[in-house]
Amino acid sequence: MSGPGLAYVRYRTGGRDEWAMRIGEGPALLFVPPLFEELNRTRALLAATMRALAAAGFGCWLPDLPGTGESGRALEDVSWQDWREAAAAAFDSARAVASVALRGGALLDDPAPARWRFAPASGASLARDLARAGLMTEGGGGYRPSERLLAGMDAAEPAPGTTVRTLRLATDRAEADLKLEGPPLWRRAEPQNSHELAEAMASDISQWARQCGLC
Amino acid sequence: MTAAYDDEQEVDATLRAVLRDVLGLPQAQVAAMDESSPLFGALPEFDSMAVAGLLTELEERLGILIEDHEVDADMLESFGSLLTFARAKALQ
Repeated sequence: MSGPGLAYVRYRTGGRDEWAMRIGEGPALLFVPPLFEELNRTRALLAATMRALAAAGFGCWLPDLPGTGESGRALEDVSWQDWREAAAAAFDSARAVASVALRGGALLDDPAPARWRFAPASGASLARDLARAGLMTEGGGGYRPSERLLAGMDAAEPAPGTTVRTLRLATDRAEADLKLEGPPLWRRAEPQNSHELAEAMASDISQWARQCGLC
Repeated sequence: MTAAYDDEQEVDATLRAVLRDVLGLPQAQVAAMDESSPLFGALPEFDSMAVAGLLTELEERLGILIEDHEVDADMLESFGSLLTFARAKALQ
């Protein structure tokens, strides 16, 4: 996952430096990652979307939330509030003009006044899925989040705002500003990518950001 | 949350779409399934991790809640058994 304009940068939250992946230079977009296993399953999709946006003149940031990725903290010591603060800190560090959130990332994107969301999920639905995955696979699916993290996520909903654009898959019956054809990659046991979906997302984000006068 | 379904064919189509999307099965394979087509234990794509994703996706698309105690090997055994379960949930 290298290429032109790729850099690993730090942002500070909770008294520590955490990592963020940055692709491209230009008006900054903060990618708020999906949570737990859904991030692994959509990482290729996110990277492809970030690359397409970098080519369109944006700087895209994807932070590691505390306790995930290259973070020096253990997930079991992290609370929901830590993740909320980290998203806000990353938004400030990136000097972002808007957020781009997929799935559970939409539960953490409200530091951004302008929010673009794809298939936002309620915290309760993600908590059910996590519990179910833990029941199905002995050992809890590899994640050991704290009760404080789970309880906070369980109660969280994507925050409403005046500048929020929501896209969903065509197969999703919930309301959206636009629906795109594509697979729910966050459900696939084997991580996959969809370049068509990444291109469609990047194109909509770019158009939306310019229409809103964000850049 | 979405409204409950009122059409048996729509539940059938939703279940096929979920099998295709979650398991990554080819459209032709899913379209050819009938009630006796075996699922859990018969498809390499349909392992225990995939069960969790499949149930959650069915919940979201059909606007239903599936309790843990309702999930067992019989319910997941064939396309027909899963369809019967989904219809009972979605059309109640």
